[in-house]
Amino acid sequence: MLGEFEYLLITAAATLADNAYGAAIREEIEATTHRRCSMGALYTTIDRLETKGLLKTWMGDSTPQRGGRAKRMVRVTSKGVQAAKEFYDAVMRVSRGASWAGEQTGNLS
Amino acid sequence: MTRIVWPLVELASKLLEPDEREAVLGDLLEAKESAGQALLDIFGLVLRRQALLWKNPQPWFAGFSVALPSTYLLMHVSVSVTATYERLFHHRFCASWPTGHEGFVLLFCHFFLLMAWSWAGGYVVGSASRRTLWVSMALSALACAFCLVTFHFEALSRFSPFLFVLPAILGVRHGFRNAHLSLAGASLLAVTVTVLMIFAWTHQALWVLNWALVLPAWYLVAAARRSRQEGPTGPWWPFDRAPLSSAVFARKNH
Repeated sequence: MLGEFEYLLITAAATLADNAYGAAIREEIEATTHRRCSMGALYTTIDRLETKGLLKTWMGDSTPQRGGRAKRMVRVTSKGVQAAKEFYDAVMRVSRGASWAGEQTGNLS
Repeated sequence: MTRIVWPLVELASKLLEPDEREAVLGDLLEAKESAGQALLDIFGLVLRRQALLWKNPQPWFAGFSVALPSTYLLMHVSVSVTATYERLFHHRFCASWPTGHEGFVLLFCHFFLLMAWSWAGGYVVGSASRRTLWVSMALSALACAFCLVTFHFEALSRFSPFLFVLPAILGVRHGFRNAHLSLAGASLLAVTVTVLMIFAWTHQALWVLNWALVLPAWYLVAAARRSRQEGPTGPWWPFDRAPLSSAVFARKNH
């Protein structure tokens, strides 16, 4: 079972698809959660997920706005997609009937 | 402010693996982080990385089981060898010096043992704690400081306790670079060291605690044996299959 931050990271990477790399994932997480995402948490979690086989990373191209430094590109593996789906389903199931869940979870069959 | 702090960010980032440094510095530039925040981010990542390394047994083994006790013992052996050398070659003697009865044969035996113990210990430390080497070095320095403060070696050069340093550094360098050591070479070293230690022991010229110094040599045999079984790129860690350089970055090169 994924942790909360692991799920956020996988989801952000999946959403960004071919444009998923450190800074973009961090921005996506911060924009979504309105919480600061530290570099330490981001990169150690990426490593952990890669060790579990849920992500694949490689060094990508550099760009001028990065001072000519390369990006660490991220792609979610099929195993990662499956793990994220299981987490999502579990959260939705456990949220059924919760007062804050509203109608969204009630529609799930 | 940024002009002052950003070089510090670059400096701090040297504590990261090269690929990770590249990616993280690029991310910080792209996100237009302030230099102060970037410095905090780098230190946060370095701390997390170091904390993760200490979840493995290797850094503990290298630092507390090898570097710290070996330095303490090797400093005493260095003093002992220097004292014997002074007595035999320069006919100098001081009542507080150790090894009063040793002759030329035991001097050469101890000198060889000192070199071999130091190199083997250094090799183990270098290979088992690459990314935590600074902690092992700090523990060695601590042992040195303790010896220098606690013991006073009269009439001997102030460098006499440090004869072991050069071969130990060479060993660390070789271990750090994972220099190949054949099983035959490691076995020859371990057997020679053991035989010479038995020789010194039978002549009442070996402190009982010095037997601990034979362990790194036999560790190398175990590691070389394991390395041969797992191929030339196998880890120098005979107890499990986890690679010594634990960073994911270090293991892949896309």
